[in-house]
Amino acid sequence: MANRGGAAQRPNSQTQGKICQFKLVLLGESAVGKSSLVLRFVKGQFHEYQESTIGAAFLTQTVCLEDTTVKFEIWDTAGQERYHSLAPMYYRGAQAAIIVYDITNMDSFGRAKVWVKELQRQASPNIVIALAGNKADLANSRAVECDEAQAYADENGLLFMETSAKTAKNVNEIFLAIAKKLPKNEQVSGAGSANQGRRLVESDSSAKTAGNCCK
Amino acid sequence: MDEEYDAIVLGTGLKECILSGMLSVSGKKVLHVDRNKYYGGESASITPLEELFTRYGAPAPDQSYGRGRDWNVDLIPKFLMANGSLVKLLIHTGVTKYLEFKCVEGSYVYKQGKISKVPVDQKEALASDLMGMFEKRRFRNFLVYVQDLQEDDPKTWKDLDPNVCTMQQVYDKFGLDKNTQDFTGHALALYRDDDYLNQNALQTIRRIKLYSDSLARYGKSPYLYPMYGLGELPQGFARLSAIYGGTYMLDKPIDEIVYENGKAVGVRSGSEIAKCKQVYCDPSYVPEKVKKTGQVIRCICLLDHTIPNTRDALSTQIIIPQKQVNRKSDIYVSLVSYTHQVAAKGWFVGMVSTTVETENPEAEIKPGLELLGPIRQKFVTVSDYYEPIDEGKESQVFISKSYDATTHFETTCLDVLDIFRRGTGTDFDFSAVKQNLGDEDQ
Repeated sequence: MANRGGAAQRPNSQTQGKICQFKLVLLGESAVGKSSLVLRFVKGQFHEYQESTIGAAFLTQTVCLEDTTVKFEIWDTAGQERYHSLAPMYYRGAQAAIIVYDITNMDSFGRAKVWVKELQRQASPNIVIALAGNKADLANSRAVECDEAQAYADENGLLFMETSAKTAKNVNEIFLAIAKKLPKNEQVSGAGSANQGRRLVESDSSAKTAGNCCK
Repeated sequence: MDEEYDAIVLGTGLKECILSGMLSVSGKKVLHVDRNKYYGGESASITPLEELFTRYGAPAPDQSYGRGRDWNVDLIPKFLMANGSLVKLLIHTGVTKYLEFKCVEGSYVYKQGKISKVPVDQKEALASDLMGMFEKRRFRNFLVYVQDLQEDDPKTWKDLDPNVCTMQQVYDKFGLDKNTQDFTGHALALYRDDDYLNQNALQTIRRIKLYSDSLARYGKSPYLYPMYGLGELPQGFARLSAIYGGTYMLDKPIDEIVYENGKAVGVRSGSEIAKCKQVYCDPSYVPEKVKKTGQVIRCICLLDHTIPNTRDALSTQIIIPQKQVNRKSDIYVSLVSYTHQVAAKGWFVGMVSTTVETENPEAEIKPGLELLGPIRQKFVTVSDYYEPIDEGKESQVFISKSYDATTHFETTCLDVLDIFRRGTGTDFDFSAVKQNLGDEDQ
């Protein structure tokens, strides 16, 4: 836990691959399906009437690449984006972001572009950004053309996929694409959060053995 | 905004954010509003650096200060006691997951124009240059007594009932001289003045234990400091509140609290009224319900070097006990740096603060400023210290006290827990926080 962002050897691993942990933040207008995407990715679930985000601090999920296991620590907005009140803490040290819009809602695409600018201004310069056009199962009521979004993503160096939390289309794929694009080299991956701080834990002993502290 | 809430919290200072979090966790429907565009109110960390210079009406910083975005400058200097109440709150609420900390490297005390490391265990006491040889032994015996004392075991009291006797009596029993009493009371027990000498000894003994228990946790000093500055703390508790359903609105002007028969029933912003049963706020939202009881001076100093004579510590606290400089209250000096992501590479943020005692507060902090060496840029604030005029039971408006001059968050937490008790009629139930909330084990 204390080793956020750094790459560490896993002592008992059969694959002998390394584990890299990354902070990934979700952004996008309310009700575009941010929480649903995460719920699908982390738990394989989908709820048609998902409540507005309550009770998800952050979730973790791993993606296995050939020689590396990528562990995502996924931060949900907890609804703080609703009145433009997302705290700067949210972006801090984030190495990846998924900006979500709803393909049936043009405004949400416009808003996604604002989030891209916001990230380019506030987040670490090496952040990997993916654009997700969610609710791809509702293509009948499409308002945002796939080509248009793809062109925008290309211009801004973003990964792009149309996803559906409902059908699971491209959900694992988008996380996998991000995992592949993230730098696994310790020096590089640490750049986003090269702070060497420590997290506080209840017991003394584990705090002391966690290392990586008080430098 | 036109909805009904159990509680509306005004201001996103640390106290209000902790309260908001505790209320949401306890199942209350909370609306949390701030007139500013940023989180933290008085306890914010200002970023970028240009913003800080603008705030104090100074010309923009030159190139030597590096990237403005790399700075997060606290308005109020404080450290966390590693074993103190705020750390407990952070751990029990899970907010610690959002934060990373560093241990403060050095803790120093001022004596006769020089600074010395605060001795905290027997070994350090024997090596300290604060005391002569015989005094060192007496101080060592005193430390052993404090460590061994069990409140519920009279056998450990050494014939002095700590519930009855005064701290002065305890000092006298161990034969500690005035100098030793001075750094014990001010640099270990962290009292701001000498009133404690004639009060019950138990409080002081508890404070010394808190100091040494905190020190035992991480080593170099009893203090912790969050990466990116103290402004991260209110943000973390705000996130806790939001996760439990709290609604957040920044940049929302508040025009008035609406009352019916003397009881708060809502908050008005322009033509919108949010209804509520209770209001929690900082003093700035209710000038008619608070009284000024003092002033605190704080001076932010931007440095391009460490504090002299601190072995190049990248973070430090220095306490100047009141008697050393003929004052009634201590002067506090603190230093944090680029290693905490609060300044650009190679830069340091020093702070000198104290409770104001005269008409010329800037002159009062001079002994502290002199310890810092050359100062590149200085920003002075003298702020009024406000307390609520009543407990809020009738109006259902619960008001926090301003942040005092203490160097740590113990009084901050006491105030928060007291407000929560006044507002809800019960103590905060830590078990209300779902364990492993959103964690992988779920």
